[in-house]
This record gives sequence, C-alpha cells and structure tokens, in this order.
Amino acid sequence: MKLSPAALLRLLSRFAFALTLAGVSMAAAAQNMILIGAPLPLTGGLAPEGLKLQRGYDLWAEEVNKTGGISVGNARMPVKMVYYDYQSNTPRAVQLAEKLITDDKVNFLFSPFGSGATKAASAVSEKYGVPTIAPTASSVEVYDQHYKNLFGTYTPNSTLTEPIAELVRKNAPQVARVAILARNDLYPLALAEEFERSSKARGLNVVYFEKYAIGTLDHASAITQMRAAKPDWIIATGYINDMVLVHKQMSDQNLRAPVVTMINGPAYQEFIDATGALANNVTTASWWHPAARYTSKDVFKSSENFTNLFRTKYKVEPDFTSAGAAVAGAVLQMAIETAGTLDRDKVRSALRDGKFATFFGPIAFGPEGYANSYTPPVLQIQGGKPVVLVPADIKMADFGLGV
Amino acid sequence: MRARLIGPAAAVALLIALPFIADNYILRIATSMLMYAALASSWNYIGGFAGYPSFATAAFFGLGAYAGGILQSKGIPMVAAWLIAGVIVAAFASAVGRAILRLRGHYFAIASLVIADVLREVINGMTGVTGGGMGLNVPVMKIDVTTQARLFYAAMLVVAALAVVTSAFLDRSRIGFGLRCIEQNEDVALRLGVHTARYKTIAFALSSIYPALAGAVYASWVSYIDPAEAFDVLFSIKPIIMALLGGAGTVAGPIVGAFIFQAMEELVWRNFLSVHLGLLGLIVVLLILFLPQGLLRHRLLRARRRPLLVKAP
Amino acid sequence: MLYLQVLVNGVLLGGLYSCIAVGFSLVWGVLNIINILHGSLIILGAYAAYFAFTLLGINPFVFVPLAGLLLFVLGYGLQAGVINRVMGASVLITLTLTFGLNLILENAMILAFKADYRKVVLDPPLGLIEIGTAILPRDRLYAMLLALILVGALYVLLRTTRIGRAIVAVRMDRDAAALMGVNVERIYAVTFGIGAFMAGAAGSLMSVMFPISPLTSVTFLGKAFVICVLGGLGSIPGVMVGGIMLGILESFGALWLGPDYSTTIAFVLLLVLLMFRPTGIMGKRGFD
Repeated sequence: MKLSPAALLRLLSRFAFALTLAGVSMAAAAQNMILIGAPLPLTGGLAPEGLKLQRGYDLWAEEVNKTGGISVGNARMPVKMVYYDYQSNTPRAVQLAEKLITDDKVNFLFSPFGSGATKAASAVSEKYGVPTIAPTASSVEVYDQHYKNLFGTYTPNSTLTEPIAELVRKNAPQVARVAILARNDLYPLALAEEFERSSKARGLNVVYFEKYAIGTLDHASAITQMRAAKPDWIIATGYINDMVLVHKQMSDQNLRAPVVTMINGPAYQEFIDATGALANNVTTASWWHPAARYTSKDVFKSSENFTNLFRTKYKVEPDFTSAGAAVAGAVLQMAIETAGTLDRDKVRSALRDGKFATFFGPIAFGPEGYANSYTPPVLQIQGGKPVVLVPADIKMADFGLGV
Repeated sequence: MRARLIGPAAAVALLIALPFIADNYILRIATSMLMYAALASSWNYIGGFAGYPSFATAAFFGLGAYAGGILQSKGIPMVAAWLIAGVIVAAFASAVGRAILRLRGHYFAIASLVIADVLREVINGMTGVTGGGMGLNVPVMKIDVTTQARLFYAAMLVVAALAVVTSAFLDRSRIGFGLRCIEQNEDVALRLGVHTARYKTIAFALSSIYPALAGAVYASWVSYIDPAEAFDVLFSIKPIIMALLGGAGTVAGPIVGAFIFQAMEELVWRNFLSVHLGLLGLIVVLLILFLPQGLLRHRLLRARRRPLLVKAP
Repeated sequence: MLYLQVLVNGVLLGGLYSCIAVGFSLVWGVLNIINILHGSLIILGAYAAYFAFTLLGINPFVFVPLAGLLLFVLGYGLQAGVINRVMGASVLITLTLTFGLNLILENAMILAFKADYRKVVLDPPLGLIEIGTAILPRDRLYAMLLALILVGALYVLLRTTRIGRAIVAVRMDRDAAALMGVNVERIYAVTFGIGAFMAGAAGSLMSVMFPISPLTSVTFLGKAFVICVLGGLGSIPGVMVGGIMLGILESFGALWLGPDYSTTIAFVLLLVLLMFRPTGIMGKRGFD
C-alpha cells in the first residue's frame, strides 16, 4: 500500500495544528472588558470607508473609557474594539465575523461596511445569536431575512430618494428625463431602484438605467450612452472611488445636466478634493451632517460636541460614515446600560425596545431591525463645500441648478 | 502489509471521531480541508493522470455552489439540491469538455481558466435569479450551530471520500491506464488504440462532479455566496498546488498535499494576515523550483511503486 | 453620432490595449511562458509614474521610458534569476510558478502602497478635443498615440537590430539559433525584460486615465490574453489589430448589452476563438 508515509505526514500535521489552536484558545479566555468585534475593509476598494468607520469606533471607545467604561449593573467595564481587515472582500468579512465570535469571543459585533457585506455577515450573527449593530446598511433587502440579531442605524434608501426627488420637482419642474447609472452591488443598486421609483412616481421619464460591474475603471461607454439619451437629471450610485471616477469621466466627455446626483461621494471631503470646481451643484444625501444640532443622552451629549471631539482628535470634519460608527457604539452602550448586563438576550431586547436619543438623531429600531426615526439630510456642493438643503431646521442654502 | 495499514486506519478513525471531540472552530477548519482534498483529488483525474493542466475547478465549484444555492432558495431540500447541482455541472463539463479538450498545453489551460470568468460574468448579470453582484443568500438551517457544524463536516467528508475512491478506482482501471498513456504521449496513445477523446472527456467530467458537490455544500455551509468569490481563481489554483505538493498523478498525493497546505495556510493566516498571500506565493515558488514532483515522490519519502509506472527522472 | 463616439472610445482605448498586450505576447511567443505577472508589472509601472509625479513632479507621459527601464531591470532579473530554472518545463509548472511570483509581487505592492486607489490628477486638466460630434479626451488621445508609437518602435527593433533578430531567431527555432551563436539564455532574459518594459510603459500611460491599485492587475492580464488570442501570437501587427479590435468590441458590446457585460464579451470571444481559430486573426502557427 502506498499510503503509509502519507498518512503519517497527515497525522503529524494534524496534531501540530491542533496544538497551535489549543494554545490560542487558552489565551482568549481572560476577560474583564467588553469585547466588540468589527471586521473592517482597511485595505482594498472600500478602504476609505473602512478607515472612517475605524475612526468613529475609536473615538467612541476612547470617550467611553475616559468615564471608566460602560456601566453594567454596578460595575464599569472598559470597552475594547477588536478589528480585522477583510480587504474589501465580502466572504472574508463573513469568515472574520465568525472568527471574532468563536475565536476572539467578542460579546457583540458591528457589521462590516455596506449593505452587501452586512447582509452576508448577518447570517453568522444569527447563527450564533450575537446582537449586531449595522452602522452603514440602509437597504431594506438587508433586513428581509427576519433575523433577530441585526440592528441598522440607517433609515431606508427611500428616505434619501424621496426628498431629493421632491426638491427636483419643486425647484426644477422642467426636468423630465432621468438617467441612472448604478454599481452592481447591493446598496447602490437598491438605491438606484428607489430613485427609479421616486422619479416615476413624479411622472419623470427614466431614459437610461444601467449597472456597471464592481471594480469598473472605464465608464466611457456608459457615459456616451447617457449623453445620447439627453438627460435632465443624472443619478449615479456607488462608493467614493466609483463616484470620483464617474465624475471625472463625465467631464472628460463633457456630459452636463441641470441636476446631477451622486451617492455616496460628494458628502465626503475626499470627493471634493478630487474633483475640485467641477463638483459644484452636485447633489447628494447622507444620514448625518456636522451641521446637525441634536442634544443627546449618549456619551457625546450633543452633535456639536461629537463634531468638536472628532475634529480635535483627527483634524478633519466628521462625515456620516464615521458618525454612523460612533453612534453604533453609543446605541450599544445605552442598550447595555438599560439591560444592566452583558447577557445577549437581555441586550437584544433592550436594543429592540429602546428609544435612543443620540447625537446622530433619535434612533429607534423598527420591527424589521432598521431605524426609521429621523430625517436624513440632503446636501449640495456649493462653493466647494456641502451645504444642507433638507431638513428645514438645519437648512443652509437653496437648491442650485446646473452642473 | 499490516503495518502499512495502521497509518491510514488511524487517520480515518480520527476523521470519523473528530465531530465528537473537536470544537466548532476546528471542525470548520477540518471541513475546509476536506473540501480542498476533494478539489485536489478531482483535479488530479484530468491534471495529474491525463496531464491536461485544467484550471476549470473554480468554474465547476462556483457553478455547483450557485446551482445548489438557487435550488435551495426555491425550496428544494438541501441534499437533493446538492445532488442535482452535481448532475447539472457534470453535464455542463461534458459539453464544454468536448469543445476545449481538443486544445493542448497553454491553449487548453487558458480556455479552462476563462470558463470560470465567463460563468461569473453571466451569473453577475442575471440579477433577478442569482442576485448578481448583491450575492445569493442561501436559507440558514434552523438547527443549532454545533449540529450544523457536524452536519457540514460529515457532508464534506462524504464528498472527499467519494473523490478519493474515484481516484483509486481510476488509478487501477483501464481508463486510468489510458489517461496515463495520454499524459506520456497523446499521439502515440491514439495510434495505439487508446480512445483518447472519450477518456479525456470522462476524466474532465469526473473532475467536475466533486467540485460541484463541494461547491453546493459550501454554499449551504456559508449561507452567502457572490460571483466574485464563488468563481475565485484560487479555487482553481490551490488544488493544483496541493496536488503538486503531494505528488500529481498519485492517489494519495492530492490528499496529503491538501492537508499540509491547508495547515500551513491556517498558521500563516492566523499569524501573518497581511502577508499571507505573499507567503503563499513564496511557498508555491519554492515548491515549483525545488519539489516539482511532490512530496510523495521525493527520494526520502518514496514508497515502493509498481515498476511500470515509474516516471523518468 | 452615438456610434461614432462609441467607435472613437473603442479606438482610443484600443491603442493602449495594444501596448498592454505586446509585452505579454512577446514573452509567450519567444519563451513559451504565460506570464501571470504581467498585470502586476503594469500596475508597478503605474505606481512608479504616480510617485514620480506626486513626489518629483514628472509628467507621466514624460516618465514612460523611465518606467519602462525600471521594469526592464526587474524583468531581466526575474527571468535570469528565477524563471530561467523552469524554461522548457510543462505548462503547469511555468504557469504555477509565475502565479506564485505574482502573489508575492501583489502582496508586496499592497503592503508598500496600500490597496487604496491612487489617481494622477493633472492640474490643469488636459481637457478635450471635439471633432465633429465626437469628443476625444486629450489624455486618452495622447496615451493612445504614445502607445502605438511604442509598439511600432518594438516592431522596428525586432526587425532591424541585432538583438531583435536574435530574439526572432530564438522564437523560430531555439536550437538552430544556439547553433548560430546566439546566447539563448541571455536572449530569454532580454526578451522578458522587454516584455516588462512595455508593461511598465503601459502602466505609466494608464496612470493618467485610471485609478491605480494592486487589485486591478488581474483585469489587464485578462485583456492581454484575449488580445493575444485575437491577434495571434508572434505578430506585432497582430497585437495592434487585436488591441484595437478588443477596444471596439468592448465599446459596442457595452452599447448593446450594457456596461456590465463588456468584459464578458471579451471572454466569450476568447473561448470561441480558442475553439475555432486559436492562431487568431494574424498569428502564425506557433507553440501549442
């Protein structure tokens, strides 16, 4: 029989390997802190967003630990964030989520970035019963699995598209033809479909709707076709890197329109830096803006205070992604404090039933798991900065026409 | 003769006992190892025995994963979905094989590699059925985590075992002998009366079944697949490396290679996450430069072989 | 009017594609090696141009020959040091080796440069030219012209210089060339180096148009494959034709099937060609 040396080798490798694992699991046992796991895209196409999330988490953890930690019953326990880089690769995010639960033994999880990865990783949280807060998942498709452990702080995509469509109808009634270009990814595609719905509901004619593959570098064909369709309103969806590229290639081909909306991109400083003067009058929406003026019962006390703390620590303005991360922490903290324990079932109930007054806005999770309790701001770039158009109480300017 | 059986017997005993003595994390790793053992063994039929460098494993795996996943999301019971997926992919492989097995060397390699790309793009585009870039969520089973882990481990164990048994069968059969003739010199084999086209197609189709089953099990196991991942070229490359590591063209080679490679990879992944691809690359380079015949054929470890099949040094 | 623009888009990109593929074709034709590293070499050239631009202010178009030279040295060294050991081995061995080397290079780039996208932003932007109803972005136009010049230069090199003739001789019949006094090993290294040169030059050209990241290397590798099979191995005019054809096909494909299918077309075409005409449009029956 030929198998003898082979089987020996196999056994040896198995044992060596089992020993390694044993060593590691023993190390993870000691624990007098609250461990929160967060798989992040620290490298890869979504790296800019990953770093923003990390900043938000780190700021929150720092502020909490300054007070001694989260109060759990009678004691205060400090918080420790456990990060892994999933390199913008969704399946790796799922594996890392599982590793965080089974290996690093975290108490709770924050979802990876974006609707797609959040949905993928939510299966793991549900399997293990770990309450998970999603800081950046707005598409209702993410929550259609009826999971009990997923809580999303973003309001659904329609809360972005409806206000913008309404603005367009009121301020630019001559707009009739709409062109939509969407990234073939969960959130951007879902958002684009919402835009289609909102446009059609107002009698607008969608003359172009195409998707581009993830990682597309050359949008020339799509832009050529859009130009031929003579749109009045151009809507492009994707993430920062995509939007910068689309915008540049649009100006390469001299594609202009009275209204141009891009999500996600213009709300970030990086987009403005990369596009310069050409970005004027581009509209976008986000779930939060430093102009917000909420007072809150969380560790930050108010939106202004959060913005100041963030600016001091990182020397840049916070955007909605970092704020979303920080509020995920804030909400989790409040839920634990309400529950008075780290027991997952009790914390889950506290999350489900709670009404949280945060610096991000009033957050209450609906029956499907996502929040629908505040109005996300609509922004437009004017004079090189994003200004708020909606909601009225923090409005900074009027709608500008023509890109 | 008896002494030679102790090794494999102990290994088999360990494999069967594992679900009852190991925790979920180890089970997960073991399941992954078995999956790759199946992939590597399957590749061996066409790559090792027949000498046709097939890079199509990822295509079969991904197609199996999607077929199984879609069937399940339409309500078909899990195991039935797996089996149907296997049949679909085998039919696909036979059809495609007829077209590309006429090519040799580099051209065959590229053609087999490109199949996965085409499939991936097609599936990416069929957003309505497959979810496209948004991925496919396979229904999660409503049983506890530990039982699930054991279930999937058992499923992969069965797939791997079948792949190995098929390999052993091929090794000793007329077809296997024919494939080896093809590998040595196809034109001569043809002239000597070997049914080259038929044997190659059989080997290619066989090399698709177990990756398809593994893919379908995988989809159910991880509950979420997307095109970029299911058709990842690494599902083609890693089995080849594993088979080369252990010794292509032998029965035990791919299995040994799979376990050793995976153990190395797990160690590297845990401790050197940021350089783990580079280290893997380094291992591959060293393997090719210094150990191209694989561990099992290395002088120090070579077991006695039947004289007819000794390769020229 | 739409069709004209689509055609223009395709041709502009096609010129660049030729430059991307010619190095790959040369290595495949002469060394009989499919160089999986090729895509990463292109990206490395692009990074070199990016850093030369942001740190030293050198315009990427000007930097093209320098990028090429840097990559030439790397390519020569790689072939002479590592790849030479498997010359003549089976497809499996050489393919897997270059795959492993590619993993190392990609990881090194990710570590050194991070996987974030970098963009060369020329200030002031180059703008565009309008010819009739067609719009030609200047950066793509210059890139295309430079690319075609480079490919043409390579063609002349192979036809007229001593080393070029030696390379062709090795490709036609290695043993005969050796008998004629050609140092085959050195020619292999030089050829690989030239392939890397063209990759680096293409990368430098591209850095102005597209964002750079190690993650995009596999896209370019795929295109190089298709162009080689389209145009046929062993023929530089074939690569030019193949490159422009691919550009046009992708452009029209995006028009008729949607932008998300443009890469699929290339691959389906590749498969069809492999099945029915592996030598391509203008190729000679070469190595199989």
